Amino acid sequence: MPKNTKTLKEILNEEELKKQKKPLFNPEIIKELDKEFNTWKENTVNENDGKNWSVTPQTILGSEIPREMIYTPLNLSEMDYMSEIGFSGTEPFTRGVHPNMYRGKKFTIRQINGFGGPEDTNERFKFMLKNGATGLSVIFDIPTVQMYDSDDPVSKGQVGTSGVAIDSTDDMEILFKDMPLEDITVSIVTHYPSNTAILFPMFLAMADRRNITWDKLKGTVQNDITLEEVVRSGPEYIPPRDCFRIQCDNIEFIRKEVPNWNFINLNGYNLHDFGTSGVTEMAVAISNGIETLEELISRGYDVDFIAPRLAFFWSISNDFFEEVSRIRAARRLWYKIMKYKFKAKNPRSLWMRCHVQTSGITLTRQEPFNNIIRASYQALAAILGGVQSLHVDSYDEAYAVPTEEAALLSLRTQQIIQSETAVTEVVDPLGGSYYVEALTNEIEKRILEEVGEIEKVGGYVASIEKGWIHRKIANYFNTEQVKIENGEIKIVGYNCYKSDEISPSIGVFKYPAGVEERQKEKIKKLKESRNNSKAEKTLGDLEDACLKRKNIVPYSVECARAGCTEGEIFKVFKKSFGLWKPPAMF
Amino acid sequence: MTKTNIKVLLSKLGLDVHSRGVFIVAKILRDAGMEVIYLGNSMPDQIIKAAIQEDADIVGVSSLAGAHLTLGADLINEAKKEGIKDSKGYVIGGAISPEDIDNLKKIGFDAIFTSGATKEEIISSFKDIFNKKLN
Repeated sequence: MPKNTKTLKEILNEEELKKQKKPLFNPEIIKELDKEFNTWKENTVNENDGKNWSVTPQTILGSEIPREMIYTPLNLSEMDYMSEIGFSGTEPFTRGVHPNMYRGKKFTIRQINGFGGPEDTNERFKFMLKNGATGLSVIFDIPTVQMYDSDDPVSKGQVGTSGVAIDSTDDMEILFKDMPLEDITVSIVTHYPSNTAILFPMFLAMADRRNITWDKLKGTVQNDITLEEVVRSGPEYIPPRDCFRIQCDNIEFIRKEVPNWNFINLNGYNLHDFGTSGVTEMAVAISNGIETLEELISRGYDVDFIAPRLAFFWSISNDFFEEVSRIRAARRLWYKIMKYKFKAKNPRSLWMRCHVQTSGITLTRQEPFNNIIRASYQALAAILGGVQSLHVDSYDEAYAVPTEEAALLSLRTQQIIQSETAVTEVVDPLGGSYYVEALTNEIEKRILEEVGEIEKVGGYVASIEKGWIHRKIANYFNTEQVKIENGEIKIVGYNCYKSDEISPSIGVFKYPAGVEERQKEKIKKLKESRNNSKAEKTLGDLEDACLKRKNIVPYSVECARAGCTEGEIFKVFKKSFGLWKPPAMF
Repeated sequence: MTKTNIKVLLSKLGLDVHSRGVFIVAKILRDAGMEVIYLGNSMPDQIIKAAIQEDADIVGVSSLAGAHLTLGADLINEAKKEGIKDSKGYVIGGAISPEDIDNLKKIGFDAIFTSGATKEEIISSFKDIFNKKLN
């Protein structure tokens, strides 16, 4: 891995010093204002407020950033408008990646779906599209995510739960039946690099069967090491270095062969929701992005060949202004990293594009309808932050997968914001707020500090290998738990304003019956009907590619074409790379 | 002699990916003076085997991905088969609907926890089960 001898902070600071700063506010007027401000604070603000001028909000997944009682130009006294804020669609992209933002293209309404067998989820897709969804997003069931077949003994009772069961290319074909893949974008939530290298090839093999050429396909895979090696729990893990290699193999292959596909969704979401501050969420995803680009560059690619298709995935939680500012801050910081560290030239390389999902961990079982309000505020924060696409969680998710009614309500939440509130008419409407700009500056500084901490540990993959990142998360969520228990963090209906009503009266989703048997039957038939010696040969070739450090994805595509199952392909990874044990987090 | 030190075996049931809850419970119980062994993701037969080997007093499983009824029932059946259903406590926690809480009671769990559970409730429930079943 090529290591820059300078830290990221040093690189960015040097660039700052080179700039001829042009403060927006006249220093003389700032001086006057400072005097007026102090007089006001002394004479008009009451003593108690003066003493408690700075408070630190306690919120779920918050970053503990102190807030003053009021923000003024004094908080931005040296602000250089053009270099720090600028106009939308131009550097430093604080105000958004497109000049006209939602006037040009509304954020994509992308609700995640997946339950039962591919037949069931295909029906839900049709329902969502019929009701105005503008993109598809699919989540897989637990055995598929964890890379075991539906007929594996460890999958018992879990087939089709929490997502859709996919075992082979045949299932992928059923899942996307009648979906207009040339017209809509599809987010395939393959959480891990390993399952991306299995499931995306099945998606491609499905496209082949439908005679859709790969350049027509538009969408996203997640493909993020954080999910596989840090956030999830599971019985078997391949080592972090090998996982990172697969992440980069996926990127390299998809960039060359499926040019309109977003090959990674640098995932802060699941880490944030697992239990980290919003600042850590972004520092980790950005560190992964940096290390990934360094690896691809060392494989001989130009940064501008890779970077334009990088995308991020954030979780938006409760501290409204922190969340808006966080998205703005990450956009500006990513721009600086791309421009000054990687010397990117293509304007698209400088964009922090992102998908956002409202925070699942903030949803409560108590008074579940309260969750509709929570998710709506979170969605609004995301939109005011200028995100590209959005998923709004459903109110019943502390119980189970959303019912059709609850999923529709999430869709409607987005449509109401888009069509009724007029918030999308003006670009970055909170830009220029003394408060939001000051908070954006502070958050950017803190993210950069935490990226520096990860650099010190030896980089992101090293921080996983050493268990450093696992310990950091455990510290955060244990501390947060104490604050929830002692009421410092308030949750309405749970630890404050509790109601005597105990049982909720909502309908809870029930999984369709018979999915496990149906999947098992399909696997049995597949293994009887496919050319087994060909399937075995493709698996052997894949193993060879794993061991000889060739890019594994073309070989995995051959496995998918030959009708190999997900479990069969994962076995090759385990055999080739061996297993790793992540640290316990308590 | 009355046994006072509670030994707890915790695991994630099946392939479930969500582990924040079980880690928090593990810490709560350990901070309350109990001995906690964490088995990670395991199937019911592996859990029962480990419970026997470790001589655990209470077996706690975590499930947030919809397998609580199927694998939960397997766990209790396995415990009965091995003759340790009555000599140990069985606790399950996770994303469980109100209707399924009743079902899990019928299956034979001594306690069921969801995301609303407090630290005090969890600790006192583990102590009660220990006192009732093992002393």
